[in-house]
Amino acid sequence: MSAETVTGRRIRPAGYTLVRTTRGSFLLHRRAAAVALGLTAVLAAGCVAYLSVGESFVAPAEVLKVVLGQPSPDELVVGTLRLPRMVLGLLVGAAFGVAGALIQTVARNPLASPDIIGISQGASALTVGAMTFGVTSYSVLPYLSVTGGIVAAALVYVFAWRGGLHATRFVLIGIGFAIALRSVTTLFMTKGDYLVAQQAQIWMTGSLNGRGWEEAAPLGWTLLVLLPAVLWAARAQRTVSMDDDTATALGVRLGRVRLGLVLLGVVLASIATGAAGPVDFVALLAPQIARRMTRTAQIPLLCSALLGAVIVVLADLAARRMFSPTELPVGVLTAAIGAPYLIWLIVRSRTAGGKS
Amino acid sequence: MSRLTARELTLAYEDRTVVHELDLAVPDGQVTVIVGPNACGKSTTLRALGRLLKPKGGAVLLDGAELSAIPTKKIARSIGLLPQSPVAPEAITVADLVARGRQPHQHWWQQWSQEDERAVTDAMERTDVTALADRPVDELSGGQRQRVWIAMALAQETDLLLLDEPTTFLDIAHQVEVLDLVRQLNHERGRTVVAVLHDLNQAARYADHLVAMKAGRIVAEGAPADIVTAELVREVFGMESVVVPDPVTGSPLVVPGAPYSPPGRPKTPTSTAQSA
Repeated sequence: MSAETVTGRRIRPAGYTLVRTTRGSFLLHRRAAAVALGLTAVLAAGCVAYLSVGESFVAPAEVLKVVLGQPSPDELVVGTLRLPRMVLGLLVGAAFGVAGALIQTVARNPLASPDIIGISQGASALTVGAMTFGVTSYSVLPYLSVTGGIVAAALVYVFAWRGGLHATRFVLIGIGFAIALRSVTTLFMTKGDYLVAQQAQIWMTGSLNGRGWEEAAPLGWTLLVLLPAVLWAARAQRTVSMDDDTATALGVRLGRVRLGLVLLGVVLASIATGAAGPVDFVALLAPQIARRMTRTAQIPLLCSALLGAVIVVLADLAARRMFSPTELPVGVLTAAIGAPYLIWLIVRSRTAGGKS
Repeated sequence: MSRLTARELTLAYEDRTVVHELDLAVPDGQVTVIVGPNACGKSTTLRALGRLLKPKGGAVLLDGAELSAIPTKKIARSIGLLPQSPVAPEAITVADLVARGRQPHQHWWQQWSQEDERAVTDAMERTDVTALADRPVDELSGGQRQRVWIAMALAQETDLLLLDEPTTFLDIAHQVEVLDLVRQLNHERGRTVVAVLHDLNQAARYADHLVAMKAGRIVAEGAPADIVTAELVREVFGMESVVVPDPVTGSPLVVPGAPYSPPGRPKTPTSTAQSA
């Protein structure tokens, strides 16, 4: 372990590999890189399985043909039915993973993930509200989700602020808002037309059923546009993991960095919610598990994104097949895994003093 | 000469004014120690000198420019500050934490220059934490941890170093060790140090320039030998004492007045000394 850290009289942080180029130098966390590669492999395998398994089984070789755009008899099943839905799941999972990582980092609390502190619920409330008023266009709803998520986050922020942001108060007020917003959503649904209510109910559980390119394409483009911001966040995240005084002394503009990270997290969580509904617990689970895998001092963004994608793709595969031909919404499955984990996290944080 | 000065500095937490129109010039290349009773505003003053607290009135000047007008990253290349109870990211290793001190010198494309490596190695050798490089910070003892934090502040390689009660939570041997280290750094590298200390005797031992504060104002400042007297101790701390030369260093040593003794008992030797 210490072979590369104490070479001669030169010290380098343990576990990093230095990549030097003519213009710059980069530190690569080896374990995080290995985990990222491993997760990519799992994700690739999961994707092939997702496209192969279904009402009719398609051999992985045929699946690859379709993905590569070669003519295949399974074009319809794989390319038209399964592929768009899988891509949507992958993007939603990645977005939730990064969103959770960012907000958990800023709040320094694993419970502060967008699906616990009211952001997903804000997105839901506005979207379902609009649905009951007859707005069903998928070109409008995602914007409403984002607006709802940001408004909810802003409200939580304002109420939790008292000359500073205290993590526990932030989480508790967030949970309060989440409950309130959930009941607002329920109110909309009971007031609304029966069919709309049913549609809203399915959306609310977080479902990929019947969705595809229509949702995946705008989400994909938005994520691509946000990519530079995510790259910035990956570096900026390091600086907010210290206490406020130390970070400020090291020349970090804490207020701005925090606001930037939270805003990015809220936008990511909201657009993902807009595309697939609040797929519960992915934003909570992925970053925490990813961090335990990489053992880094920060929550790793890339690994959170990959793990989020893996969770959603595999959960949706299970949701499709477990009670076939009935399909479950993917959110039911992620909740089934996530809820016990949440309880474990709370029990554990009691004893460990609530640190992330 | 003074690179860092405070001019008519007024500091407040919300409505409560803690420091009133304080003027201070930190002498370059010396160890300045601020002492005073609890809640006298000494830590608050230090925080303002390190731009952790915005002044309500007046200003802190670095090389003649107001701190609030200098980009914070630029300040971080001149002033290093170690807060009273810094918090490390969970599970971070010693070398990784010390490397964080290089933050103000780095960019996203320049994460680990030769200069960074040299500074970190140097800081860790000076503070004698090289052997701990790969250990998680959470697992260290209090003394080791404080040395690691000082190493982080040193790796920042600033001309000015501000330390907020660097010896709290340390036993006496570690306190002396940390203060000796500070003195040594000042001597060998000409670093200007400002420290807030609780212990008046340690302050008198290690300071070139002593600043005594009470109720948000400076009561006296100067070389410890010139200003530490029984009158000053009475005025600042409201305590009777005898000031004698430190048998080791010759610096002023404050011996508090007689401890409580129950009536009817023979007086302790200390109380005899006090009346002498």
